[in-house]
Amino acid sequence: MSCKIKFLPSDKEIIVTEGTDLLSAAMMVGIQIYNSCGGEGVCGRCKVKIVKGEIFTDEKEKNDEYVLACRTVCKADMEVFVPEESRVERAEILIKGKEIYTPAEPTDITPAVFEEKFFKVSPLSTKLHLRLPKPSFDDTVADLERIFREIKKSETAGPVMQMGLANIKKLPSLLRAANFNITVTLGNRNGTMELVMVEPGDTSDKNFGIAVDIGTTTVVAYLVNLIPPPSGQKILSAKAMYNPQVSFGEDVITRIIHAGDLSGLDRLHHTVVDAINDLIISLIIENKISLNDVNCVVCAGNTTMIHLLLKVDPSNIRRSPYIPVANLFPVIRAAEAGIKINPRGLLSCLPCVSSYVGGDITAGVLASGMSNFSQLTLFIDLGTNGEVVLGNKDFLVCCSTSAGPCFEGGGLKCGIRAQTGAIENFGIIDDKISIKTIGNTLPRGICGAGIISIVAELFTKGIIDKSGDFVSGSSKHLKKTDEGYEFFITGNISITHADIKNFIHSKGAIFSGIEVLIKKMGIDFHQISRIIIAGGLGNALDIEKSIILGLLPDLPKEKFSFIGNGSITGCKMCLLSNSAMKKAEDIAQKMTYIDLSTDNEFMNSYTASLFLPHTNSDMFPSIKTRETAAKKKSAKQTQKNI
Amino acid sequence: MESAIIEKWPGRTYELTIGATKEEGGSRSKKVKLGGTSTLPFLFFEGTIPNPPAIAMEVWDVEPTDWPDVLKNEYGDVLTDPATWAKKCEEFGCDLICLRLKSADPDLKNSSADEITKTVKNVLSATTLPLIIVGCGNNEKDSSIIMSISEAAKGENCLLGVATKENYKTFTAAALSGGHSIIAETPLDINLEKQLNILITDMGFSSDRLVIHPSTGGLGYGFEYCYTIIERTRLAALSGDKMMSQPIITFVGQETWKAKECKSDETEKPEWGPLKERGVLWETTTSVGYIQAGSDIVVVNHPTTVKEIKNYIQKLMLK
Repeated sequence: MSCKIKFLPSDKEIIVTEGTDLLSAAMMVGIQIYNSCGGEGVCGRCKVKIVKGEIFTDEKEKNDEYVLACRTVCKADMEVFVPEESRVERAEILIKGKEIYTPAEPTDITPAVFEEKFFKVSPLSTKLHLRLPKPSFDDTVADLERIFREIKKSETAGPVMQMGLANIKKLPSLLRAANFNITVTLGNRNGTMELVMVEPGDTSDKNFGIAVDIGTTTVVAYLVNLIPPPSGQKILSAKAMYNPQVSFGEDVITRIIHAGDLSGLDRLHHTVVDAINDLIISLIIENKISLNDVNCVVCAGNTTMIHLLLKVDPSNIRRSPYIPVANLFPVIRAAEAGIKINPRGLLSCLPCVSSYVGGDITAGVLASGMSNFSQLTLFIDLGTNGEVVLGNKDFLVCCSTSAGPCFEGGGLKCGIRAQTGAIENFGIIDDKISIKTIGNTLPRGICGAGIISIVAELFTKGIIDKSGDFVSGSSKHLKKTDEGYEFFITGNISITHADIKNFIHSKGAIFSGIEVLIKKMGIDFHQISRIIIAGGLGNALDIEKSIILGLLPDLPKEKFSFIGNGSITGCKMCLLSNSAMKKAEDIAQKMTYIDLSTDNEFMNSYTASLFLPHTNSDMFPSIKTRETAAKKKSAKQTQKNI
Repeated sequence: MESAIIEKWPGRTYELTIGATKEEGGSRSKKVKLGGTSTLPFLFFEGTIPNPPAIAMEVWDVEPTDWPDVLKNEYGDVLTDPATWAKKCEEFGCDLICLRLKSADPDLKNSSADEITKTVKNVLSATTLPLIIVGCGNNEKDSSIIMSISEAAKGENCLLGVATKENYKTFTAAALSGGHSIIAETPLDINLEKQLNILITDMGFSSDRLVIHPSTGGLGYGFEYCYTIIERTRLAALSGDKMMSQPIITFVGQETWKAKECKSDETEKPEWGPLKERGVLWETTTSVGYIQAGSDIVVVNHPTTVKEIKNYIQKLMLK
């Protein structure tokens, strides 16, 4: 028997077999519902309300009008209301060039400097305008060889090694119709040159590429003009959106598990490809260009994301000894992966290092330039997976820690991505709150930079103690709710006790990763010359506050720089230069991966870092001096209470 | 003579005194000093160990029904009266009395703060030994009575317990007002241990008035985990970490007498030997192990255990 389910408020209907759970039904009809446990009934985020029809749920602790979509099945026709907090909104967010990803604090490492200095202009796809000499009895070279002969004369292109039969079949009529005035598109495929496309006339000024950063939580895309400078080699615009795979679980492990389900891999693959296609479409519409002139895509993402993008089985990534199908995927046609650009356009992915260190890190390291200098540099990516890389031009070691989505605004009661309306700065003086939001609009939630700012401020003002617990009676904004203490920033935006604990676990994971890596290499924090931080957590990462919270090591502020989303920057570099891609491959190969899950030191170091700033305050000498003042205040409070 | 490398430690554990004499405003006949050591346990050739480990015996304010007969029989009819029970313990030769206010437990008698105050006063007048006073183990209840306990024993310089991450604030305030020391308890983790010590001292409590309870595991029930934690704590102290330099207490008795090895009688387990000896052996061995690890106070229940470990400590303290 089948039943009809109507989802509100979107008013979408679907007919499913009796016994289908509501979460699956919603996904089939294209409604994204939050769920971080992969439909196991654990996370409690897929709450829906049954408006019409009988409720069949195996939920044990049902105490309100809501049911969990994954635990509720249909046995007859029904109407289901999906409340706002359960919906994953696919609203894409314009990030206007690099605005959001540029820190308010200026940094010296602008990727452009690097490209000019180290990487020659050689995009993944180039276009050459050719005026072929017309055939005559004096020049009887065949059509195809005639093109090759002309290409050889150009300095930029190497010998053409590949070409599809479809293109050759088109040649006789195309050449003659165009009066031998043509443009060829050359693609750099795995070290060889492919003649991708032949077009009539001169289209060499229309060559675009897309750089995509596929994050576990966020997908960002840049539209880049690939024609040579001065007019080309520029980012035309940038767009970002949540990775809609979030509805299949917030972390990579849950998604790998989901990929193992019947047609799960298919679903995950299509979800992310749809998202990328959406981003591309909106980029080209905005810039009034044709999809046909987009000739290549370069993607960076963690190893799991790349597997899912290419619909390659990721299951061994989570099984000991954690072997991915490939770290370095060859360049393929974008259409093979379902990405809609020019049908003959190419797709290249940045090389991964291991199952848990992906191409996003390779890209970040490339963008940071750390592997070009002899200075010892620490690279920290504050993503859902926090990766830490230590090294210089001679060596690179890295590790990966599970930081959780907190730095991207995920997993918090009022967390949002770094977007307009996100609180990014917070202050409290004499119990009076001041906030700053991205775009200076009304506050909508808290982004990664905001959570750092808030927790640091609450900590320094004594509203939370060193273990992250709220100090009762310390502020009038502190209220006791069903979920324990909650600090209200505005009437409806708050930070809960659980949020703070969540943050402390995230920062602990990052710091202990750094600590273990440093110890493993037998060096001291002070030997590090530069610290480069990447991540999409907002406009500005407050270094000082990050140190106060023990997220970053206590080193002089001038050693730090924040490069925003390093993954997309590296991606763009590879799109524009084949030698950058070569460098990325070199970085990936050179990088030594240290597995923290098998490391004895890590667990100890982790529990030690679940404190503000750290259990061993000696590691944070600059905070220690401040602390004494706070301590005196606290002691006074105790005396008063007695 | 064999050659040996002498380890020089930069740190030393805090020396803590429990109990106050008449001159100091209390009514104890003697005081117990703990800690102050500058080396690993009993390595006299490397440093000084000014105070031997101390032995405490438990006195409950309610009859312990769960105790096996072999243990109960040692006490006869004093188990129903904490004052006479305390006197009996003094006779058995322990250094401290550990008064356990079990009756406050909401699942047992749910005694009020007034009743508890009376018990504390009675025990204080019945014995002149220094006192360790611990609550019933229910965080909420303990928080509500600790102030009264502290007041009742004001001036006696007791050791109050047990403060946990959940209730340390009221415990610290109570100990400060009554002039007592505190036992800080954490679940088998040196980092959590240090964190709680920091939180307590941040409230203005002196770091040399704390005693660490790293959790106690009975022999065969997690003993080796605790042993390691104690060892690591002590190594941290000797390396100069002031937030881990407090004396350590272990509650051996409470872990021993609930083990099936100390309860099952001969008809059930003939191959285990006589029950009468088993429990004492179990408690003695566990205590000796913890003393070797670095425990400064062991809290036990059986009088024979007291005799045995006293003897053992004496031998270990010979230089």
